[in-house]
Amino acid sequence: MKTIYKLFALFFLIGSTSCSEDVLEKDPISSFPAQGFYKTASDAQAGVYGIYDAMQSTFSRNFAFWGEGRADAVQTNHSGEPLLLKQNNLNPTLNSASWNSLYQTISRANYAIKYIPDVFEGESELGTQLVGQARALRALSYFYAVRIWGDVPLITEPYESINQEIFIGRTDQELVLDQIEADLLFASQNCREQFGGERDRLLITKGGADAMLTHFYMWKKEYSKAIESAQRVMDNGMYSLVNISDWSKIFTTGFSNESIFEIGFNETQTNMMRVLYALGSDSDYFPSEKFRNSFEEGDLRQELIYDVTQEEPTKVWKFFGEGFNDESPDPSANNIVLFRLADIILLKAEAHNQLGEVEEALDLLNKIRVRAGLSELDQAEASALYGDVQSAILQERLIELSFEGHRWFDLVRTGKAIEVMNPINGLSAEGNLVWPIHENAINRNPNLQQNSFYD
Amino acid sequence: MKRKDDHNFSRTTRKVSVFVLLPILLLFISNSVYSQERTITGVVMDASNNEPMLGVNVLLKGSSRGVSTDINGSYSINIESPSDVLQFSFMGYEPQEIVVGNQDQINVDLVPSADELEELVIVGYGVQKKRNLTGSVVSVGSEEIEQTNLQDPISIMQGRAPGVQVTSNSGAPGGGMSIRVRGASSLNAGNSPLYVIDGVPIESNSLSSLNGTENFGLNPLADINPRDIESIEVLKDAASTAIYGSRAANGVVMITTKRGSEGKAEISLEVSAGVSEITRKLSVLNASQYREVIIDSYQNMDNPVEPTTAVLDSLNPKNNGDVDWQEEVLRVAPQYKVDLAVRGGSEKVKYSWASSFLDQDGIILNSNFRRVTSRLNVDFEVSDRIRVGQSISYSNSHNNRINAAGRGNLSVVRELLIRPPSYSMYLPDGSLNGYQWGKRNPVGLAELATHTNKSNRIIGNEYVEIDIIEGLTFRSNLNLDLVTMKEDEFMPSSLDYRPGYNSGAVRAIHNLTWGTENYFSFQRQFGNDHNLGAVAGISYQDWIYERTGLDGMFFPSDDIRTLNAAGTISNQEVNIAGEHSMLSYFGRVSYDYMGKYLAEVNVRADGSSRFGKDQRFGYFPSASVGWRFSEEAFLSEFRGLSDGKLRFSAGQTGNEAIGNYTSQGEFAVGTNYLDYSGAAPTVMPNSGLTWETTTQYNAGMDLSFFNNRILFTADAYLKRTEDLLYNVPIPRTTGFGYITQNIGTIENKGVEFLLSTRNLTGDFKWSTDFNISSNRNVVKSLPEELLTNGYIQNGRYHILKEGLPIGTFYGWKFEGVYASDEDNVNGITNGALGKEFKGGDPIWDDLNGDNIIDEDDRQIIGDAQPDFFGGIANNFSYKNFSLNVFFQFSYGNDIYSEINHQRNSVVRYNNLSTNALDRWREQGDITDFPKPVRDDPMQSDSRIQSRWVEDGSYLKLKNVNLRYSVPRTVIEKIGMNSLDAYLTASNLITWTKYTGFDPDVNSYSGLRAGIDEGSYPQSRTIILGLKFGF
Repeated sequence: MKTIYKLFALFFLIGSTSCSEDVLEKDPISSFPAQGFYKTASDAQAGVYGIYDAMQSTFSRNFAFWGEGRADAVQTNHSGEPLLLKQNNLNPTLNSASWNSLYQTISRANYAIKYIPDVFEGESELGTQLVGQARALRALSYFYAVRIWGDVPLITEPYESINQEIFIGRTDQELVLDQIEADLLFASQNCREQFGGERDRLLITKGGADAMLTHFYMWKKEYSKAIESAQRVMDNGMYSLVNISDWSKIFTTGFSNESIFEIGFNETQTNMMRVLYALGSDSDYFPSEKFRNSFEEGDLRQELIYDVTQEEPTKVWKFFGEGFNDESPDPSANNIVLFRLADIILLKAEAHNQLGEVEEALDLLNKIRVRAGLSELDQAEASALYGDVQSAILQERLIELSFEGHRWFDLVRTGKAIEVMNPINGLSAEGNLVWPIHENAINRNPNLQQNSFYD
Repeated sequence: MKRKDDHNFSRTTRKVSVFVLLPILLLFISNSVYSQERTITGVVMDASNNEPMLGVNVLLKGSSRGVSTDINGSYSINIESPSDVLQFSFMGYEPQEIVVGNQDQINVDLVPSADELEELVIVGYGVQKKRNLTGSVVSVGSEEIEQTNLQDPISIMQGRAPGVQVTSNSGAPGGGMSIRVRGASSLNAGNSPLYVIDGVPIESNSLSSLNGTENFGLNPLADINPRDIESIEVLKDAASTAIYGSRAANGVVMITTKRGSEGKAEISLEVSAGVSEITRKLSVLNASQYREVIIDSYQNMDNPVEPTTAVLDSLNPKNNGDVDWQEEVLRVAPQYKVDLAVRGGSEKVKYSWASSFLDQDGIILNSNFRRVTSRLNVDFEVSDRIRVGQSISYSNSHNNRINAAGRGNLSVVRELLIRPPSYSMYLPDGSLNGYQWGKRNPVGLAELATHTNKSNRIIGNEYVEIDIIEGLTFRSNLNLDLVTMKEDEFMPSSLDYRPGYNSGAVRAIHNLTWGTENYFSFQRQFGNDHNLGAVAGISYQDWIYERTGLDGMFFPSDDIRTLNAAGTISNQEVNIAGEHSMLSYFGRVSYDYMGKYLAEVNVRADGSSRFGKDQRFGYFPSASVGWRFSEEAFLSEFRGLSDGKLRFSAGQTGNEAIGNYTSQGEFAVGTNYLDYSGAAPTVMPNSGLTWETTTQYNAGMDLSFFNNRILFTADAYLKRTEDLLYNVPIPRTTGFGYITQNIGTIENKGVEFLLSTRNLTGDFKWSTDFNISSNRNVVKSLPEELLTNGYIQNGRYHILKEGLPIGTFYGWKFEGVYASDEDNVNGITNGALGKEFKGGDPIWDDLNGDNIIDEDDRQIIGDAQPDFFGGIANNFSYKNFSLNVFFQFSYGNDIYSEINHQRNSVVRYNNLSTNALDRWREQGDITDFPKPVRDDPMQSDSRIQSRWVEDGSYLKLKNVNLRYSVPRTVIEKIGMNSLDAYLTASNLITWTKYTGFDPDVNSYSGLRAGIDEGSYPQSRTIILGLKFGF
C-alpha cells in the first residue's frame, strides 16, 4: 500500500508541475499573430496585395455612387440610394456616406508602409516599389475621402494595441492633401515602370501614380504641375489611345493600351456593375435625357454607350457591350477602369486652357474628338457650341468618360456643380457639395463632427 | 506553415502519456489486494401482486458492486463480511436495506412507493441521491425518452425540463436546435450549454455550421441515439455547474448512456416506421392574382407607367405557368428505424451493446437523414478494488440537407413561397426552368443541387477506478471525441442565370477533442450522523480542429461534381487549423448531518489558451446548503408531508467561448487580389481579455406529500453575468470594426416549478408531470461609448439596450393604412425632405410628433423572450395499455417574421400571401394591407416594422404515445420476455396565432432570437413501432 501512496504523490507532483501553463501556449496555425507578420519578401508582397483586396471592395459599387450618382449624366427609377443621391436628398445612413472600406485600405497600407522597410536590409528596389504601391493606394483612398467629406481623420500609423488613441477627430483637409501629395510623389519616383502582362494595369505603376498626381493637381488647381505629370503619362510608352472600333473593349475585356489603372475583378471577386448599369428593366442607373440630348451629330460613341433605338433606354451598354440584355440582379466580373489615357489627355487640355494655352488645349481636345468621329474644333467653334473652351472640354469629358465615375468630381472641381445640378435637383449650398459622414462613424467616435450642412 | 511546428503537440502528448500510464501501473500494483468473500442469493417479489420482479438493483452498500434480478426475481451477489449491507432498489418502489449477518439467502418484498427521491442523479464527477441534492438539477429519464420518437437528445428536453428553453432552428432531419438554460447570459461568447456524455465533455460549437449558405446549423448531438440514453441531467445552478468552471455559465447537460447489469443477456429489438407531413401550408396567390398585384404596383407609382415588365408577359413560355410550389416541393415522407441492444453481464463483466439504424426522409423533396449508431459500454471488475471500463460509440450519418433555408434565392423554403406561380416549371424543350429573373426553381434546388453532409464520430471514454482505502476511490478517465465531417455542395448551371456557370464546394473538418481527468473521491460516514464526501482532481483537455475545403466553378458538366473537375478554384481560404487547450484543477467537499443538514462546496481553477497571458487562470467557486426540515421533530406530526427540503446555493461560473486567437490578434491570409495572394490584419489584439463571469444565486424547495404521490419542486434564481465578451465597435478609421473586450452585465432571473402527481393508482393509473418556467432577461449595463442613441444595433432586427432583454425588436410601428389622401391630416412626410404619405400608404407611428417619419420614430416593436414556457405530460395506464399525452407551450414571445415580409414584397417581384387580396386599391378603401408600389418610394417595404411582428405564443400537442404490452403469459410461450406495440404521434396539433409555418422557430441560433427567415418547416409525424425483448 505504501507504494500506492508514493505513486499518488508522484502523480500529483507531475500533474501540478509538468502540466504547467506552457501547455496553454497556442499560437495560431493558419494565420499570424497580429504583430510580427512582416518577415520575408513574400510577406511584404502579400501585405501589399491585401491592400488591393480592400481597395477592390471599396470601389465595387461606390465608384458610381460617388462619381456619378449626384451628377447629371445618370437618371434612376430606383428608390433608395440612387434616388436619394439623384434628388440631392443625402442622409447619414447612405452606403456611400460610409468611409469604412477606404479606411480599411488605409489601415492595411499603414501596416505595409511601417513594416516593409524592416523586411529588406538596406536599399532594395523591391521593397521601395512595394512601399510606393502602398503609399499610392493610401493616397488614392485619402483623395476620395477628401473629395467626398472634406476634412477627414488623417491616420498614417497602423493600429496594434488597445492603448493607441482610437477616437481621432477630423484633420484639416489641406494637411490631408499634403500627405496625399507626398505619397503620390514617392510613388511616382519609386513605383515600377511596368511589371509585364496584365499586372501593368492591375497594379500601381509609375504611370498610375502620375495619373493620380494629375487628378490631384487638377483638384488643387495647380495646373502647371498637372501638366508636368500628365506629360509624363503621355510620354510613357505603355499607353496609347485605342481605335474607336476597340473603344468598347477598354471596358468589356479590359487591359487595353489606353488603360492606366484598372481595378481587377473576376467571377468570385465581383462588383456591382451589372446592377448599377445594365440590369435589363431594373438597373440603378440609365442615361439621363439631358445626357442623351448632349451628343453631337455623328458621335460614334453614342450607340456604344446605350441603346439609341429605345426611346427611354433602361440601361447602359458601355461596360458590357452593344446589345447587352440581362435581367439578372447578380454581380459582375468586369474590371473597373479608374484611370485611362483619354482622361489624362483631357485633364491636360483643361490645364493648358486654364493657363491660357488655348492651342495646346484644343490640340489635345481634338485628339479625343477626332477618334469619336467628330470634327476638330477651333476656339471660335468651341465657344459657339459650348460657350468657351473649358466647357467644351468638360462636355467632352462628360461623353468620353461617361459613367466611369468622374463627372461629379469634374463638376465640383470646376465649380460648376451648383450651376449644373440646381435645375435638376435644387442643389444650392456649397456646404452640400460634400457628403454627410455616416451615422455609424459619428456614433462610434465622440470626436467626429458632422459636416455642418447635414448637422 | 513556417512558424508552426509540431513541437507543442508532441510536448503535450508526452505529458499526457504520463496520465495514461500511471493508472495502468497502479492497476498492476494493487492487484495483490485480497479479502474474504461469500455469496448471497435470493428472490425479490413485488409486494403488491406477489410476482417476481425483473431488473431490481441489488447493491453492496458503500461499493459500486451490484447485480440485478433476473426474470424469476433471483439474484446472486458476493459480499465480504457479515456487516455488509445489501440495498435493493427499483424505480417506483421503496428501497430496502438489509444487513447480511449470517444469512445466505435473503428474500425481499418490495413495496411500490413511487419514491423518486431515492433516485440517483448524475452530477459533475459523481452521483448523488435526489434526496440529498443541494443544487438545482433536472433529470429526464429513459422512460420519458422511450415515449417519443425524437431522434436527438436536445429535442427531448423541449418542454420536459423546467428552466431549459429549446427552440428549433430547422425542422429538417438532423437540423439545429437552440438551447438556453436559464436564459441567455452572453452577448457573443456563445449561449449553448456544455454537453457531457458519460463524463466526456464533447465538442458542439464548431459542428453547428460548416459553410455559408445554410446558416441554420446542424444539431451537434444528432449523432447520439436517444434510445441509448439512460438519463439526461441538466445542471442549472452554480452549485452543480461550478465544478465545470469556465464552460459552465450556460449550464451543463449530462447525458448518461445505458450500461449492463449482472444477469442473463437481455436482447431488445425495436422496429418502427412512420410518416411525416407538413403541419400546415401557407396560402399564396395564383398566377392571375399575382399579375394583378404587379400591375397595381406599377399604377401606384408616383408617375405611373405602363407595366412593361417581362414578369407580366403571359405569352412567354417561361412565364405562362400557374404552379403551386408548395404542392410540388412538399411531400409525405417516410421514416424507418431499427434498434437492437444486448445487455447483461456476469459478476465481473457487464456489457451493454446497442446499435441503431435510422432512415428518415424530410418533408421537402430529396431531403433525407440516415444514421447508423453503435455503442459498447463495458465494465470489468479486475479485482475487488479495481474496476476498468469503457464507453465507446461510433456513428455514421449521411444528411442530404438540400439548401432548405438561408437568405436569398438559394433557399428552397423561400422560393417555394415567393417564386411567382406564373414562372413555369418547365421550358418548352422539356428542361426544368431552373432560374428566372432572380428566382430559382425550388424543385430544381431540392433535386438538382447537391448539399450533403457526411459525418463520422467516435466518442470514447476509458476509465480505471481504484478503491484505495474504504471510502476513497481514485478514477482516471481518458476520453476523446473525434468528428470528421464532410460537406459537398454543388449548384448546377441549370439553376444559374449565366450559361455554363456552375459552382461547387467541398468542406471537411477533422475535430479531435481529447482529454484526461484524474480524481479522488471520498465518501465516508463518521459515527452515525456525519457523512463526509470529497472530490479532488485535475484535468487537461485539448481541441484541435482542422478544416479543409475548396470552392470551384466552371465544371465542364453538371454531372461531375467533385472539385477535380472545376475549371477554376475560386477559394481555398477555408483550409485552416486551430488549437485550444485547457488545464484545470477541481475539488468538492460535501457534508451532511443525519441527512438533515446538507452542505457542499465546489471549486474549479481553469486555465485556457484563449486568454491573454496575464489573465489565463480563472477560479470558479460555489457553495450550497440544504435543510431537510421534514426530518425535524416538530414536523413529524404532519403526516401528509413525506419529505421537505430547502436549498440555497451561490457560486460563479465562466464562459470562454471566444475565438482561439482573439487575444493575440490575427493577420489573415486569403485576402487576395484576384489570383495574387494577400494578407491583411483582421483582428486587433487585446492581451487583457478574460472570462465572462456568471454569478448565480439559487433558492429551491422540494416537497413531497402523501407518501410521495405529490412531488413539488420550486426554484428561484438570479444569474448575473459580468465582463461580457463583446466585439466592441470602434471607429472604422482604425481599419478594424471592433475589438473584443470584456464589457457590460446581463442579468437573468426566474422561477421554475415542477409538479408530479400520481392522481390514480390501482388498476387504472394516472399520473401528471407539469412544469413551467419563467425567465426575465435584462441587459444591465453596457459601456457608454458603445451606445448609439442609447442602444447597440444587434443585427438587422434587434437592439441591445440597458434595461431591455436580449431579443428586443426595434423598428417602425405600423398602425394601419391611410384610407385616403385626406386621412394624413397632419401632412406627415417620409423624412424631412420626402413626400407626404397618401392613401394606401402605411400609417407609421410618429413617435416624436414632428410630422416627419424618420430614424427617430423607431421604437421597441417586440420581444422574442417568452413570459413563460413549459410542458405537461399525462400518463395513463390500464392493465397492458398505457397512454402518454404531452403538451408543450410557450407564451408571450414575439416572432419577427421575415418570411412574411418576403411573402409580401412586391418590390422583389415575389409572390404574395393571399392577404394581398385585401390590399388597398382606391381612395377610401379601409384595410390593413398597404398598396403595392413598384419602387417602394415611401420605404413601406424596406423598413423593419411591427407589421411583421407576430405573437409567437403557442400550445402544442407535442407527443402522444399509445402502447400495448402483450401479457407475459402469452409471450413467454413464444420464448420472449416482452413485446410492446406502440403508436407515437408528434406535433399533432398546434394552437397559435402565428401565421408562418410554425411558431417553434428560430432562424439564428445566436443572439438574434425570434426571427423566422423561412426555416425548414416542422412536420407532423406518426410512427408505429414494435419492441421485442428476449
